[in-house]
Amino acid sequence: MESISRRHFLTTTAGLAGILATGIAPARGQQREISYLCWNNFAPASDKKLAEIGQRFTKDTGIKLKIDHISHMGPQQAKHAAEVQTQAGHDLVEMRMHVPWLYEPQLVDVSDVVAELEKKYGKAISSAYEAAHVHGVWRAVPQYHGMFVATYREDLFKKASLKVPDTWEDLYVVGKELKKMGNPVGIPISQNFDSISTASPVLWSFGGMEVDRDGKTVRINSPAAVQTIEWYKKMLRDCMEPEVLSWSDSSNNESIQQGKAGWIHNPVSAYIVARNRKLVTTDGINHHRSLAGPSGRHETDVPRSIGIWKFSKNADASKEWIRYLLGKREVYDEYIMSGDAFNLPVYEKLQDHPVLRTDPKYAALKGEGVQYHTYGWPAPASDKVQLITNSYILPNMIAKAVTGTSTKDAIAWAENEMKKIVAG
Amino acid sequence: MAVRADEINVPRGRPRGRARLSGWLDREAILGPAFVTPALLLLLLLVAYPFVMALYFSLSNAFIGRPSQFIGITNFVKLWDSDAFRQTFQNSFVFTGIAVVFKVVLGICLALLLNEQLWFKRMIRGAVLLPWVIPTALSTLGWWWMFNSLYSVVNWTGMATGLMDPPGPNWLGQKYYAMAAVIIVNVWRGLPFFAITILAGLVAIPKELYEAAEADGANANARFWHITLPLLKPVLAVVVLFSTIFTFSDFNIVYILTHGGPINSTHLFATLSRMVGIDTGRIGEGAAISLYLFPLLVFVVWAQLRFVRKQAF
Amino acid sequence: MTVARRPRLGKVVRHLLLLPFLVFALFPFYHMTLTSLKQDRELYDRYAVPLLIKQGPTLEHYSKLLWETEFLTWTQNSLLVAFLATGASVVLGTIAAYALARMKFFGVATFGTGIFVTYLVPTSLLFLPLAQVINWVGLGDSKWALVLTYPTFLVPFCTWLLIGYFRTVPKEVEECAMVDGATRIQALWRIVLPMAVPGLVCAALFAFTLSWNEFIYALTFTSSSEQITASVGVTTELIRGDIYFWGSLMAGAVLGSVPIVILYVFFLDYYVSGLTAGAIK
Repeated sequence: MESISRRHFLTTTAGLAGILATGIAPARGQQREISYLCWNNFAPASDKKLAEIGQRFTKDTGIKLKIDHISHMGPQQAKHAAEVQTQAGHDLVEMRMHVPWLYEPQLVDVSDVVAELEKKYGKAISSAYEAAHVHGVWRAVPQYHGMFVATYREDLFKKASLKVPDTWEDLYVVGKELKKMGNPVGIPISQNFDSISTASPVLWSFGGMEVDRDGKTVRINSPAAVQTIEWYKKMLRDCMEPEVLSWSDSSNNESIQQGKAGWIHNPVSAYIVARNRKLVTTDGINHHRSLAGPSGRHETDVPRSIGIWKFSKNADASKEWIRYLLGKREVYDEYIMSGDAFNLPVYEKLQDHPVLRTDPKYAALKGEGVQYHTYGWPAPASDKVQLITNSYILPNMIAKAVTGTSTKDAIAWAENEMKKIVAG
Repeated sequence: MAVRADEINVPRGRPRGRARLSGWLDREAILGPAFVTPALLLLLLLVAYPFVMALYFSLSNAFIGRPSQFIGITNFVKLWDSDAFRQTFQNSFVFTGIAVVFKVVLGICLALLLNEQLWFKRMIRGAVLLPWVIPTALSTLGWWWMFNSLYSVVNWTGMATGLMDPPGPNWLGQKYYAMAAVIIVNVWRGLPFFAITILAGLVAIPKELYEAAEADGANANARFWHITLPLLKPVLAVVVLFSTIFTFSDFNIVYILTHGGPINSTHLFATLSRMVGIDTGRIGEGAAISLYLFPLLVFVVWAQLRFVRKQAF
Repeated sequence: MTVARRPRLGKVVRHLLLLPFLVFALFPFYHMTLTSLKQDRELYDRYAVPLLIKQGPTLEHYSKLLWETEFLTWTQNSLLVAFLATGASVVLGTIAAYALARMKFFGVATFGTGIFVTYLVPTSLLFLPLAQVINWVGLGDSKWALVLTYPTFLVPFCTWLLIGYFRTVPKEVEECAMVDGATRIQALWRIVLPMAVPGLVCAALFAFTLSWNEFIYALTFTSSSEQITASVGVTTELIRGDIYFWGSLMAGAVLGSVPIVILYVFFLDYYVSGLTAGAIK
């Protein structure tokens, strides 16, 4: 394919005009090649679209692009670590949430690319900023995000005339009814990311936090934490079943898909997969706006950004790829549309995206009045804060409290563990 | 399959040019090292060197992609402060101890049974080997599906047969059940290795010994304890050695089934090391976790090998 | 172990005692197979009976795995890597074992012990600095990196096994041959090895299994879809975010193990007799 494009460039006047117009130097015998490692998108169609865009990129610029996929849960981190350790590997890497903070010294400064995108699309949303803007420099270009949202069985709610909850307290009220109906609420309390993704918004909504904005002061020991724990205790007792203590990240999806859970907290993947597999529960599933607490409406967001390793010899070509994928409105839109509504744009002006209108059930993803954060908010995502997250201290604190440890002791334990980590 | 020496076609009168080289190669002092050198080189380059690097990591504040400084045994000392690590330490001994004991006992039983005249001998042996052959990453996922709280076939079967009350134990969500679950999967996977290796040891015990003992009036029990078991000791020693090492450094089962939970109650050295070292970038601490037991394991290996060499070699 | 007085009854009892073991070993596999044949509708039906297929079996998971993913390429890679790594390990192990079993030279005891020590270093730790070494050799993102690194954990066990096995070959036979003019190498090749074939088969099967199941090195040293092995490929392709394609995952487990088991059963007699002499002498 590369030789065709080279010939195309060099032999046709259109190609020459193209070169003169865009200033892109033709590949002079030396083909530029870049490689990109990204996660295997939960929507396979999105990966196909990415490959397609990649091929068009090669045709238009002459830069050969290889895209590799990897599972994002454990393997992706191992791969990043190996590439940094060997100082060899892919040129571009897609990073989940605030991983750019861990690899700050190894990532190229991409502030220029982000500035261009922000000029076109408006500022990057706050969660994307928190994730990829490290110590004043953009270390990765925000690409899209998948936020959490409330997913519930609308049909069951209607049948029982239950009010759609608006606060976490409302959830408790309807949850009791749901459990009596045999469709309990499903919020995991286990050593998995979904547990953190729910525990954090609950804590934030009550006004609490793990580590303060300064990144040093541990603030878990607060009335908000007590309220969070008490809320979880009563939820487990009256609205959920003990199985949530064993759940993995896929369990809540599966629970609602096969008709058990009446309410879960998850990105839209649960609904989309049900729809694609034509499960019986599909029609009954819908989403509603994220829940609020006394301290506002907070929600977990998972932004993903694209970084360039410093050891890459093709930083410029890599930036071109990012510009090609995200810089042109049509291409960016095309890319977003292929991911159903799981991947949404992270720039201000693109928030009300057409993809949200492809299915009325995506309406809640607009998230009006919702503040989106990444794990560890409001502390900057230093490696210490990330170790607190990766050690599942927050869900373990809750797990301890709901399985017999006193609230006071559970909080004290969490505080102690967090302090030890922050102390270094 | 014995071959008689005079049946071998040995060329006589080798060409003179090669005589010196062949003669040279025939000396043990040359050929011996020559034969072990490839393996030695492989292990030196691909194990020893990375190991030294890993050792350096553990003695430094290495963080992924950042320059590191030597800090001595600080990592090892600090680890003991961490609740997760202390729990991991305990878990590892519990996990390995129980799993290996089960594998030894069940392995001996299974080997004894397989040693008999059986119908469908080949099929039975094949069936017994199956758990060991299924790719680990996928068989562990299969077990996750089996313990899955929503569709757990284990619980369903237990309730259907009346052994369990609904809804059945929360396998992966309760402290001791989770440890039991990971031990069960480890035993399931490792039992074939034990059984077949011990079987090999059993097959080698001369029948005459048993016949003599029986003639002397020893019953089955006595024959087992006084003939079988002692003669199996060398096999058992080495198998237990290998299995202990493999079980201690097990990663996959805990990672997939429980991620170390609930509340760190199933974390093992390998999974904790992965979480701290790779997921968070603190490879110095991660290396220290992985290497914490190295001195102990070296001692165990040395002791076992001395015992085995006395007995076997 | 015993010459039973009522052979028939004893046999039946023994088979009954075997039953729990067989159930334990086979049940998960049965369940995996069943899962791979169930329709999604039934898989996600909480009221379905997990032990049977009630809504009709389907081959869609297998077809998805075989035709919509690169499963065949990955399996090819796994097979290639396993065969080559096994071959290399058996060769290296054979000559090292022969030297350690038969010859006296400087450092033999140290080396003998040393090969075990390599097992104490977990691969979950080694992979990171090893990645550097692989990169220096220029094999990053290549299945050849696996062929190079797998022997590191295969050679020690093969060596140990073959040492034991070689010791069962009577020294006299070799010595006769050498008196007749054979070199050591010829003695090894023409006498010892043919007698040790079961041991070699045993070592090969063991090495093959370990290579087949290996994950972390495969994950680290390969990236492109054409280079990765079956375990890595299947879990990468079929676990997307929080979505698990259970039917196809289990199909991968079945397809990834049945051929190997057939191989094993075929060679099983060698395998057992191979371990026989190797383990205890």
